[in-house]
Amino acid sequence: MPAKLDELIMARRVAAELSPGQSVALGAGLPAKLADVLPPGAPVQLLSDGGALGYSHSSSGSKSGSPALAGPEGESVVLERGGSVLGLVDWAAMLRGGHVDVGVIQPARVTASGDLIGWTTAATPGLFAPGRTVDLAAGCCEVIAMLPHTGSDGTPNIIAGPSPVTDGRGCVNIIITDIAVIRVEEAGLILTEVAPGWSYDDVAALTGAPLSLADGLKEIAPSLEALDAERAGKVFSDGPSAIEDLYDGATVMIDGFGGPGGMAHYLLVSLRDRGTRGLTIISNTIGIARIVNFGTPAGKLAIDHSILVENGQVAKAIATYPVSPSASRPSTFELAYRRGEVELELVPQGTLAERLRAGGAGIYAFYTPTGAGTLIAEGKESRIIDGKEYILEQALTADFCLIRGHKADSQGNVVYKGTSRNFNAAMAPSARTTIVEVDEVVEAGELDPELIVTPGIYVDRLVVRPEGFSPYE
Amino acid sequence: MPQEKVYTTPNAALADVQDGSTILVAGFAGHGVAEGLLTALSEGGKQDLTIIYRHGPHGESGAGQLSVLDRLVSNGQVSKLVSPIPFFPGNGGAIEERWQAGLLEIEVVPQGILVERLRAGGSGIGGVFLPTAVGTRFDSGQEKREFPQGEAVLELPLKGDYAFIKAAVVDTLGNAIYRGSARNWAPVMAMAARITVAEAGRIVEPGELDPEAIISPGIFVNRIVSAG
Repeated sequence: MPAKLDELIMARRVAAELSPGQSVALGAGLPAKLADVLPPGAPVQLLSDGGALGYSHSSSGSKSGSPALAGPEGESVVLERGGSVLGLVDWAAMLRGGHVDVGVIQPARVTASGDLIGWTTAATPGLFAPGRTVDLAAGCCEVIAMLPHTGSDGTPNIIAGPSPVTDGRGCVNIIITDIAVIRVEEAGLILTEVAPGWSYDDVAALTGAPLSLADGLKEIAPSLEALDAERAGKVFSDGPSAIEDLYDGATVMIDGFGGPGGMAHYLLVSLRDRGTRGLTIISNTIGIARIVNFGTPAGKLAIDHSILVENGQVAKAIATYPVSPSASRPSTFELAYRRGEVELELVPQGTLAERLRAGGAGIYAFYTPTGAGTLIAEGKESRIIDGKEYILEQALTADFCLIRGHKADSQGNVVYKGTSRNFNAAMAPSARTTIVEVDEVVEAGELDPELIVTPGIYVDRLVVRPEGFSPYE
Repeated sequence: MPQEKVYTTPNAALADVQDGSTILVAGFAGHGVAEGLLTALSEGGKQDLTIIYRHGPHGESGAGQLSVLDRLVSNGQVSKLVSPIPFFPGNGGAIEERWQAGLLEIEVVPQGILVERLRAGGSGIGGVFLPTAVGTRFDSGQEKREFPQGEAVLELPLKGDYAFIKAAVVDTLGNAIYRGSARNWAPVMAMAARITVAEAGRIVEPGELDPEAIISPGIFVNRIVSAG
């Protein structure tokens, strides 16, 4: 038989599947080698459950004094510029919430239908240690199984299936082994590439499942040319261009806590100017009051959600505090609500934060005691768990999210200042397109990776608030 | 007043650990393991403990975590382990031996599910519907439900009596920051335990930590010992 590929060539072949801008979660074993073959400064971010997002094995772009960080093998890794440090809650939420583009896993077996068997061992009947495998398999948008084609005794690692037990059902998209690249399609396995000197028949003989032949079988010769590219820029020149695809009827998360402090005022004005209509706004308040001399500088009005309501752009609000603090001075939304022009879904503040987090973290619903036995519980499932009453609340997601950060780096990592952190960390992951208005954009690597609150993986666009922009008008 | 949280020794901080306690042990691949607290626990001799932890991956860096836990287990102090990776087969030391002999119960929970169950326990959530286990070997008879996003399994909250965490710097109010991979399980375990004991690389006065940088607010940290 011709030679099999070595681990580094296999890793290069996996790397050749990646596109600039992707985030890639790595499992232990062979996948960990990916960090050895990616070119310095490659425009992809590796994620380790050791809490490193954007790491490498070399220190091409890292700053000195990098924190002690572990890769999937427990090996020491360094952060690239723009990398950040995470806890495991964030790691799990990132995966489950669908924010990680590619997962690379070394399973013991893969079936023809893309089922993945993490590791099985005769030594521990009845006990399986999935570690991170199940999370990667379930969460990553695309899963690459990277494994030797056969066991050391020659038995195929690719089997017909179905397998009675799996660690990921139908999740594998591509199988990359030491002799072949195989696509997992609806119709079954398709051999697309072979190691130099290997034929279809050679590979098929070592595969425990039917194998179709792709048109134009190629030899494995990984090229990483695609990764010789810049990341797409996230910085937009102004507010209007940052929201130019925000459409009528969109659901939009907007930050803000109690008035003018620390909201995305500039983006709000841009949205008013755009005139987009029929919006559903998810926010803590929906505009507190637009009243001269109501906690504002003399003769000025605060810019908040009210400007969208005034402009007839809002169809519905999902909010915790939709009224003015003063009954005699109702908010714009209150008046519109009384006129029957807008709909309202009222949510307690902590439940809103939790529903937002659930939306971004791939949690479909959760039981919370908040609101049980109150008006909030109407129409919701109630359940006694361990003697306490809970109600079922659903995750919230949105099309767009407009929030205010303090500083961001060019890769979209964001830090906040004071109260403006508030809902923002929960909102940023829950929208399809997250746009952050910041005071300043710095180069990747200039923010302390331990202090990044919202990693760039959640941030699509950045816009700098114009100097001297006033939150009052 | 704030000094009340600072204990002079790990033994003093663990004086009220009872037989049958559930202990959340933070750590990843040798990073962030509160070795002093684990050593005190093994010397204290309490029995019938349930330990929730994650084994370090292969390699030297994880060896410390294994050895301290190994000692607890080989002492016969542990009746149950809950972990995504309780041990590596053939290299599992006392944990594997006692499990094989039927002396140790092991509950395996995928990592992301375990961390979310702890977060639920720490945030007063009665249960979460997660898609992770659907169709896998971990989809075994729990309640399931169809949502607009797809099918999900009801995962129940987990809590501990104690959490052992290791932090880089803790102020005397218990506000804690971590370094690198030591963060990992620590913030969520700190939330999920009745009593969280932090082993601190350095103990400082309140106000010395940047308030924007604090990862575990002191409300989650009950006792502090110096890592020495």
